[in-house]
Amino acid sequence: MSAGHVHGGPDCRELLGGLSEYLDGELDLAACEKVREHMGDCPRCQEFLESLRRTVAHVRAVSPAAIPPELKRAIIDSWERLRQRAGE
Amino acid sequence: MLETDAQLLERIRRDDPGAFEAFVDRYGDRVYRFGLRVCGHREDAKDVLQETLIQSYKALRNLEHPEALRSWLYRVASNACLMMRRKGKHEPERELSLAELAPGADDGPVAEIPDPGELPDAQLERARWQALVQEAVGDLPAHYRIVLVMRDMEQLSTQEVADALGLDISAVKMRLHRARLKVRQRLEQTLRGRGARP
Repeated sequence: MSAGHVHGGPDCRELLGGLSEYLDGELDLAACEKVREHMGDCPRCQEFLESLRRTVAHVRAVSPAAIPPELKRAIIDSWERLRQRAGE
Repeated sequence: MLETDAQLLERIRRDDPGAFEAFVDRYGDRVYRFGLRVCGHREDAKDVLQETLIQSYKALRNLEHPEALRSWLYRVASNACLMMRRKGKHEPERELSLAELAPGADDGPVAEIPDPGELPDAQLERARWQALVQEAVGDLPAHYRIVLVMRDMEQLSTQEVADALGLDISAVKMRLHRARLKVRQRLEQTLRGRGARP
């Protein structure tokens, strides 16, 4: 890429579509190298990639909810009732 | 020793006493969490859970491959979620275009989203970010949200999501990427709207 690279052109747009695959390690080596090379020359794309990486980290960090114990009991009881009814 | 899916499936096929309870123990949290994240309402998540566990359990006896159990369960759960969509939210599904999610050449600098690992330890700050992220995820069109929840929250592989939803791999990747971009955009808009804090 030339030193006169201007952010927002076709190079940047082409790369944008593959950034999640890049973060997930699903791009092939040649495509990864192309992304790295572009990021080296385009600080705005690099910032964008970093903000996407952090977004994914936030989504992954959302606390898991556990099934309330009384709900679990209710479902097991309702299954038992269904079974009994089927066996009658 | 922890029972494998294959062993659990054997017990389900024999309808052993306690097999349903073991099935709920293993998958109940997952399905409930998925329902909550996709539907956004506890009552809907409860219905999704009950529907998914009971319907799946009946049908699992005929499942040939234990390795397909997880994808299969998510397929039933996501169908239940789509059925559960509340009145008033039945507008046609929006598509997210890459162009609307891309940074423009004339946009200002990218707002700095903090790394969740570097947030101050204050519980309130973390809770605020979690609420913000959940809201952004909740606003995604359902078919994008389901893919994002499966991949990034439930940690299913791309192939498992494709199997669960009957999509090809490229469609899963496309939906995941656009869902992430949309959430990123929402976080950025919130940061810009409220100064540096969410």
